[in-house]
Amino acid sequence: MTAVLDLFDIQGEVTRAYARFGFFYSRYLLLQIKDGARGRDFICAMAAQVTTAATWDGGPQSAPRPDSTLNISFTYAGLKALGIPRASLAGFPADFVMGMRARREILGDDGPSHPDHWDPVWKQPVHVLVSINALSTEAREQRYQAVLGMLANSEDGVVLLEGHRGPGGALLPYQDGHVVFENGQPTSKEHFGYTDGIGEPIFEGLPDMAERVWGRGKQVYDSDGNVNWLPLETGEFLLGHYDEAHEYPPAPMPNLLSRNGTYTVYRKLHENVGSFNKYLEEQGAKYPGGKELLAAKFVGRWRDNGAPLTDAPDAAAKQAWDQKYAAASPQEQDRMLAGVVFDDDQSGAKCPFSAHIRRINPRAALEFGTKNAFDTPGALANRRRILRRGLPYGESKPGQFSDDGEHGIVIMMLGASIERQFEFVQQQWINYGNDFRAGNDKEILLGNHGGPHGACPSRAVLPVDPNSQDAPFFLCNIPRLVTTRGGDYFFTPSMTALRMIAEGTVDPT
Amino acid sequence: MSNIAGKAYAMNVVTPIRWYFVWLNKLIFWLAIKIPGVLTGLITLSLIHYARWVIVSRNDFPHLSPEQPREELKYSYMFFFSNFNGSWDQYVDSFTFSIPGGLDLFWKWNIRYPNSVPLMPFHNYIRYNQVDTNHYYNATPLAASNDVKAAAAIMDSLQSFDKAVANLSPEEFQKQYFAVLRKHQNDLGDMQPTPIVSLAAHEVEMRRKRELAQHAHEHDHEGELHG
Repeated sequence: MTAVLDLFDIQGEVTRAYARFGFFYSRYLLLQIKDGARGRDFICAMAAQVTTAATWDGGPQSAPRPDSTLNISFTYAGLKALGIPRASLAGFPADFVMGMRARREILGDDGPSHPDHWDPVWKQPVHVLVSINALSTEAREQRYQAVLGMLANSEDGVVLLEGHRGPGGALLPYQDGHVVFENGQPTSKEHFGYTDGIGEPIFEGLPDMAERVWGRGKQVYDSDGNVNWLPLETGEFLLGHYDEAHEYPPAPMPNLLSRNGTYTVYRKLHENVGSFNKYLEEQGAKYPGGKELLAAKFVGRWRDNGAPLTDAPDAAAKQAWDQKYAAASPQEQDRMLAGVVFDDDQSGAKCPFSAHIRRINPRAALEFGTKNAFDTPGALANRRRILRRGLPYGESKPGQFSDDGEHGIVIMMLGASIERQFEFVQQQWINYGNDFRAGNDKEILLGNHGGPHGACPSRAVLPVDPNSQDAPFFLCNIPRLVTTRGGDYFFTPSMTALRMIAEGTVDPT
Repeated sequence: MSNIAGKAYAMNVVTPIRWYFVWLNKLIFWLAIKIPGVLTGLITLSLIHYARWVIVSRNDFPHLSPEQPREELKYSYMFFFSNFNGSWDQYVDSFTFSIPGGLDLFWKWNIRYPNSVPLMPFHNYIRYNQVDTNHYYNATPLAASNDVKAAAAIMDSLQSFDKAVANLSPEEFQKQYFAVLRKHQNDLGDMQPTPIVSLAAHEVEMRRKRELAQHAHEHDHEGELHG
């Protein structure tokens, strides 16, 4: 089914990872609604400024490209404070109603990731998430001032919450983000040095669906048994649309409230750059393939350019891959980066089972080499996909050996079901390994290693070619490389729903 | 009740089936076992310990003594039993995502079976017909079925390795040892407690543990008094 989406009704953050379009700077604000009526007036003023998914290409569904964007989402408590009727509120799923803090044991947010250690801003009720993305810091500041103006007009009906930890431990009324710059040039890297955001899901109706579906949609085989890719169903990412189970995702009533909306999981993830560098040095000295190959094994991609280990499993293959990449057209380059399949790596000798990309999107790997075992090869993966938005924050130095400071990623994960998509991946694939036949082994980079109360240390196996003479490599005592510093679950409504919320006209009758 | 023990979940589903379709359903079961490859999808779903379908015809229910009143059953019944690792959702969803066609074939003749796709009607069908487990015992609460299979394979290998290497040179020993490691490199996952299946199940488990601890404590005191 080819979906035609009403791009003017969908918030821009759903269809666009803004950084890919040159919006290298972000700012995230958390608000609390003190008064329902003045809160609705504030939302009304904001709604007029919200950036939609309209394209910027001058075509029939296009709008002028702004120099900054504005998007808005609500917690359950926020929707309640804005006066959404009880009958509509009752239609929201338990995961969203409870929020991230209450779901921490499912997410493995323990020890240093426990909410007790989150930024102080999360210690108070959070109602609204405003996200600004901008082409320049000036444009970001301008947009921020515009939001402050609207807040001032609300006469304390809506307040800006303070307590995001910023540089030097300062407590700020906002969280900033920006791409990592190398030699003054913007990159798509994060603080561990990996190229991020390559494997973005592609779904029916996205404006650039056709040219980006390769490696990003769902893996299928054509009649000759060759790998091909199809867009995922829209309903995996937008409520009110047909999903991979051939139905409309469960959603609150009325349909106008939920259709073209989605859920946004906001998480501030601190990166323990010092622990990472130290661990990589220690283990890299022992690892037969050397430090950079070991770093690639953590994620499944080489750090410098994101070359996938499935196609460039060692230094020699990487060299050949790089040459081919340099000579390729931009479209071929994109396919070389995104078009990862695990079909020729059943042993994990190229990309380990605990590597980041194999865990968060196993593609057809859960058929374990039994081709056509399932009705579709990605049967166990297609309903676990997540749109990833957000940007790195803070500064870190290359070769830094301290975890201190404020640096990490503000990640936003979007999808039609928090429980089925984000929570499942976080619990079953990042903090546990049974689906990969890896027992309790966690994902190397994001796993909640070294849990509290003297829990057993984490390890991971880096398999080798079964036909070689080598021994597999064991990563032992993996330290916790990423810790949660805050977050919550938000509903990102359509423009229609946003206006209805602002007008107080949501009626499920 | 507890449908959960350690890493395992026990599911029982009892569904009525029109008596005149029973022969057809039994034929399908028989063919599924006879034709290789039909059950490949099911077997590849490694979170499943086993899945068993049994049909009891309406006249075959046990009548144990003359005092037991005779039943007039309108339908025959299909009993589905399975133990698996993970949550209810994970299991039911894995089935419908992976082998919807096979599921429909097995349940096709059951009363009001909605088909496994779309998902929500199928969820409701299973929920409605599920019989909760009163008591459930698990001998290996830290192990998923994958872990048990891996452990058994490693045990076999280590026993033969032990016999084979008794008189080898250090170099040859290392070669053989590496070979065993390679053979089992994907059987070596860590074994730790299960992730929380659901917050509700977790709370029940916590209360149960507190009660057991309380009980043990009181028992100790009894011992002191009588001792």
